[in-house]
Amino acid sequence: MASVYIPVQNSEEEVRVVLDQLPRDASDILDILKAEQAPLDLWLIIAREYFKQGKIDQFRLILTEGSSNDIDEYYADVKYERIAILNALGAYHSYLAKTETKQKEKEDHFIAATQFYNRASRIDMHEPSTWVGKGQLLLAKGEPDNAFQAFKIVLDNAPDNVPALLGQASVEFNRGRFSESLQLYKRVLQVYPGCPAAVRLGIGLCRYKLGQLDKARQAFDRVLQLDPDNVEALVALGIMDLQANDSLGMRKGMERMQQAFEIYPYCAAALNYLANHFFFTGQHFLVEQLTETALAVSTHGPTKSHSFYNLARSYHSKEDYEKAGMYYMAAIKETKNNPQEFVFPYFGLGQVQLKLGELKGSVSNFEKVLEVYPDNCETLKALGYLYTQLGKTDKALEYMRKATKLDPRDAQAFVGLGELLISSDTGAALDAFKMARTLMKKGGQEVPIEVLNDIGVLHFEKEEFESALDNFKEALGDGIWISFLDEKEKLEETGVSVLGYKDTGIFHRLTESGHSVDLPWNKVTTLFNLARLLEQLHKTETATFLYRLILFKYPGYIDAYLRLAATAKAQNNLPLAIELVNEALKVDDKNPNALSLLGELELKNDDWVKAKETFRAANDATDGKDSYAILSLGNWNYFAAMRNEKRNPKLEATHLEKAKELYTKVLTQHNSNMYAANGSGIILAEKGQFDIAKDLFTQVQEAASGSVFLQMPDVWVNLAHVYFAQGNFALAVKMYQNCLRKFFYNTDSQILLYLARTHYEAEHWQECKKTLLRAIHLTPSNYTFRFDLGAVMQKSSSSTLQKKKRTADEVRSTVTEAENAVRVFTQLSAASDLHVHGFDSKKIQTHVQYCTHLLEGAKVHREAAEREELQNRQRLEVARQAALAEEARRKAEEHRKNQLEKRKQEDELRRLKQEEEKFQRIKEQWKSNTPGSKRKERAEDDDGEARPSERKRKKGGKRRKKDKSSRVRHYEDDEEETATMDDRNELEDEDANTNYNREEDENQDTEEPVDDDAHDLLAAAGLEDPDADDNDDEVRASVARRRRALSSSDEEGELMETSQPNSSPQKENSPARQDEGNVEGEEEDANLDEEED
Amino acid sequence: MKLAGLKSIENAHEDSVWAATWVPATDDRPALLLTGSLDETVKLWRADELDLVRTNTGHSLGVAAVAAHPSGIIAASSSLDSFVRVFDVDTNATIAVLEAPPSEVWGMQFEPKGTILAVAGGSSASVKLWDTASWRLISTLSIPRPEAPKPSDKTSSKKFVLSVAWSPNGKRLACGSMDGTICIFDVDRSKLLHQLEGHNMPVRSLVFSPVDPRVLFSGSDDGHVNMHDAEGKTLVGSMSGHTSWVLSVDASPDGGAIATGSSDRTVRLWDLKMRAAIQTMSNHNDQVWSVAFRPPGGTGVRAGRLASVSDDKSVSLYDYS
Repeated sequence: MASVYIPVQNSEEEVRVVLDQLPRDASDILDILKAEQAPLDLWLIIAREYFKQGKIDQFRLILTEGSSNDIDEYYADVKYERIAILNALGAYHSYLAKTETKQKEKEDHFIAATQFYNRASRIDMHEPSTWVGKGQLLLAKGEPDNAFQAFKIVLDNAPDNVPALLGQASVEFNRGRFSESLQLYKRVLQVYPGCPAAVRLGIGLCRYKLGQLDKARQAFDRVLQLDPDNVEALVALGIMDLQANDSLGMRKGMERMQQAFEIYPYCAAALNYLANHFFFTGQHFLVEQLTETALAVSTHGPTKSHSFYNLARSYHSKEDYEKAGMYYMAAIKETKNNPQEFVFPYFGLGQVQLKLGELKGSVSNFEKVLEVYPDNCETLKALGYLYTQLGKTDKALEYMRKATKLDPRDAQAFVGLGELLISSDTGAALDAFKMARTLMKKGGQEVPIEVLNDIGVLHFEKEEFESALDNFKEALGDGIWISFLDEKEKLEETGVSVLGYKDTGIFHRLTESGHSVDLPWNKVTTLFNLARLLEQLHKTETATFLYRLILFKYPGYIDAYLRLAATAKAQNNLPLAIELVNEALKVDDKNPNALSLLGELELKNDDWVKAKETFRAANDATDGKDSYAILSLGNWNYFAAMRNEKRNPKLEATHLEKAKELYTKVLTQHNSNMYAANGSGIILAEKGQFDIAKDLFTQVQEAASGSVFLQMPDVWVNLAHVYFAQGNFALAVKMYQNCLRKFFYNTDSQILLYLARTHYEAEHWQECKKTLLRAIHLTPSNYTFRFDLGAVMQKSSSSTLQKKKRTADEVRSTVTEAENAVRVFTQLSAASDLHVHGFDSKKIQTHVQYCTHLLEGAKVHREAAEREELQNRQRLEVARQAALAEEARRKAEEHRKNQLEKRKQEDELRRLKQEEEKFQRIKEQWKSNTPGSKRKERAEDDDGEARPSERKRKKGGKRRKKDKSSRVRHYEDDEEETATMDDRNELEDEDANTNYNREEDENQDTEEPVDDDAHDLLAAAGLEDPDADDNDDEVRASVARRRRALSSSDEEGELMETSQPNSSPQKENSPARQDEGNVEGEEEDANLDEEED
Repeated sequence: MKLAGLKSIENAHEDSVWAATWVPATDDRPALLLTGSLDETVKLWRADELDLVRTNTGHSLGVAAVAAHPSGIIAASSSLDSFVRVFDVDTNATIAVLEAPPSEVWGMQFEPKGTILAVAGGSSASVKLWDTASWRLISTLSIPRPEAPKPSDKTSSKKFVLSVAWSPNGKRLACGSMDGTICIFDVDRSKLLHQLEGHNMPVRSLVFSPVDPRVLFSGSDDGHVNMHDAEGKTLVGSMSGHTSWVLSVDASPDGGAIATGSSDRTVRLWDLKMRAAIQTMSNHNDQVWSVAFRPPGGTGVRAGRLASVSDDKSVSLYDYS
């Protein structure tokens, strides 16, 4: 039992103080010490003893008293002890400062420590122990350079001062200059070979840090030889063993840790490592015990932090996220919120918060990890995912990209990147997925079906169907579908069609014939996509089979029902389609997609009221959040507004307003919904705001280009309508034609009708006629086209007849045109007796009458024109002939004159020569005269021959009616008569027209009270057009007409009248098309969900 | 089995070419190709160079169908104004002008022996049969009308006969209509035998297999070519692949293949054993309205030929082997 003896002043006696029985109240001892004026070293011994026993207050009391001014005075000559006391206090405060976590107290302690050391220095400047103390204080304050100076002062005087050497070694160690540190430790060893094992520990640590693991190990081993119970050495060796990272090393390491634990159960480091080990072996109970102990024994921040971290991890792996989070936070707190020190808890906390849905917190923690390890792929990926969740796609992309760049072999990162890009940049997404696939294949991993599925879908979207097919096939692997895809199995033989969708027999038959019809659940989505692709490739049978297979195995797969219904709808089998949708509704009677499709089908089936109810139900089923359902309702309202042939302006306005409201609602929910934008555009156009409408349509058109799932021909049509309404016919024509070609393979007769109407308004009769003929050829049973054709021909012929100048050819073709018009109308009136065509026979009759009349007029015109033409030609001919005759006459005259002169000369000569022979002279005169007269006769004959040949050529010019020429010849004599006749004819013609108009007006008047419709129809038939109207055409305000052109039962556009109610901005297709996109879109969402899981 | 392009005439007509058929060879000349167009003309072409033999005028409103008598001497052409003009192939002399108002005229085909001309009568919901000797209307085969047509449906649901086809033995006549149904008639008894189902969209073209009188092929706007057993009233198979309407179907003389023309601008060759498209010709750039295999016969002409005509105004000829 150790004890000290305090000598009693002025006596030989001593007070014995048993050191482990020091009184609790230090003042007793202090009183004795003071009273007996005990040597100061005793004070120090007792204080130290208190300290060892953890009685810090007593320790402080004694030392404070021992360093008081009284003592200084009293023991003024006892320098060393006083310094020792002050140094002890300084060291104490240094220690406190070192362990204190609160910044302010820490500072206070440092200041106190500095004060004590300064006092010590004042007593003796050169006391090395003070310098050593100061050095350690500076070291603790984190000023290794100053500490270095302090130690140096000591060492300069006493190069072998062990504490200073150790201090210096420590400084160097802290500065990271391990080899210098090592040198110093070695020196200590040389100077003081019997030094405690701890010095060798320093050597070991230096070696360890220098990477000289073997030598470090030797050093630690030596420590253990000297002091088998040295926990630090054991732990250090253990760590080294553990880091060897093989099972032997692990075991040895753990043995050492256990040893250390047994020697000193409160070594936090060992506890932590043990806990760490048990964490990996899954013995969570032990982990908790160990770490709790570690926490209890350690005050050292980093170590505690480590312990908390272990604890947190343990809870984390037990999925107790709340607790895990708490401990992670504690761990972080222990590191004084400094991620640089110990970053793992941040990562853990980030993960926990991610799990708990605290995305923002999670992000900030991962970001902290990233500050320390900017290139940590896991963190980058986690952040990438988080930012995706938070909607910050740009940042997410940035991180994902970085992750893939840092580790171009991390397939998972590429998958993440691909998923991110799917919605923004499909091309890049595809590249990322492909990269992931290649990496996985290289690594010998099986490529997950989701990745292949996504690659397939992306190819699909880019219309690279072959690649899509390959990927889907690869994703699906082996199964019944392969034999069908490779056409090894004949679908025909198995009897597949949508019609027999209820028949599951084929699957039983397939099973019987040795095929497996298994379909694992994770392949359903891909199989569905494959079927979708086959549909796109028009391999309808195979697609149908696959849908049926899906339904056979998973009868709740609504989308498959819907696709089958869509297939039936595409083949115009509405009853079957409705039946299929109802099957889907049996599975889920609130499925908005099914309801929407049903509504669409009912609309097609003309069940207006039902359709509206269905759309309402779809809307309700989604709480008004499903844009498609709202859009459908909007469309319904729009159609309703346009539908009624006797338009009720009030009703129309309410329907339009309602439609607009619904479109706007969708737009507020999704401001990039093109269908809603299109709808709004239509309403605007309907109200005459063409410029805004045009802008809208143009934007939608631009947005809609580029994806196979986004086919929006409607917007093209609408744009064309706007151009048309604004009178820009050329552009409208172009737009219609492009739309036809781009989307419909030129097969949509409705758009052809719009095109024809545009030509009609532009007065391009021939183009209009051709367009209508094409439409008839495409849709022979639509009689409205025929009616329009008749109307166009009627209009074109009447307009030709209006012209002031016209050639006979023009008039002739006009007659043919009028004949054709009569025939078309006649046929129509005959056919309309048999069927209902949407227009009444009376109207056609009036057309027939008018055209017949027109024809009669035209025939007269033709005759007149032909006559006139012929006359003109004949007049010219006569003039030419006259000229010719004149010429001939002149020539003959000249000739005669010449001859006469000649003859005169000859006569003269002869008279001179042979005057005497009179009888002979008379004879000669006779002879010379005869040839001249003959020549003249011949000239006249020539003329006579030329005439008939000319006439023949003229006859050749005429195509028909050979008898005409004779009549013409008859008229040729009397020019005046023909002229008057012509006038009279024209008068008659005009009279007839006006009469006719009057008649018609009467007709209208009489019919009006009977039937409102009839008026519209008649008016629309364009019967007011013929003459009077034509003149008005130019006068009429074109704006008004154009505005009206958009509405369907336009009063004057006969083309429009006959078209369907939906002929104004067309959109009947939109729900159907959108429906396809919709279903597919849903599908993709589903894919993504699966993968996120 | 393969098609190889031989010759293509751009702007063969001034406007869309809508109809084509081969006029069989006579003793004096080989088989000729007969085409009809929206430009209101009918043209005759000599293979393989597609030299223009003659241009016939006289139609108005676009020529929608042409048919050739098996003898190769006479042919018929019809236009949207519902007139059928029967003419002598070599002289272009008009033999008869047929009309049966109010019936329109769509598809036409001569009976294989040549005694009757069958004409699809559009909205009259009937096929008109004309005697080829007297050019009199000898029979009207009506198809059943739906019981209660919906007044609102103006275009599709009512019966409208578009296409006709004779069985190779001349006993059966098939006609396709707008609503997708196909009716089979026993011609001798003037009796409707049954209706074939499978299409719900217009059937624009029909052809019987030249080797099996039971087998009928039909092309429809639903993009499918269906294969029916015309006697057993069953759908044997359905072939899809065209991305738009199937406008025309013709069977090869050997019965091993069919060719189709479609709005998707392609001509496809289908192997009937594989029941799959084995070749797709994309030389046209607009709807292919008609495809026609050249009938065998003629002096020393063994090689198979297929002709196609299109909205792009061109006529194309292929070697079929």
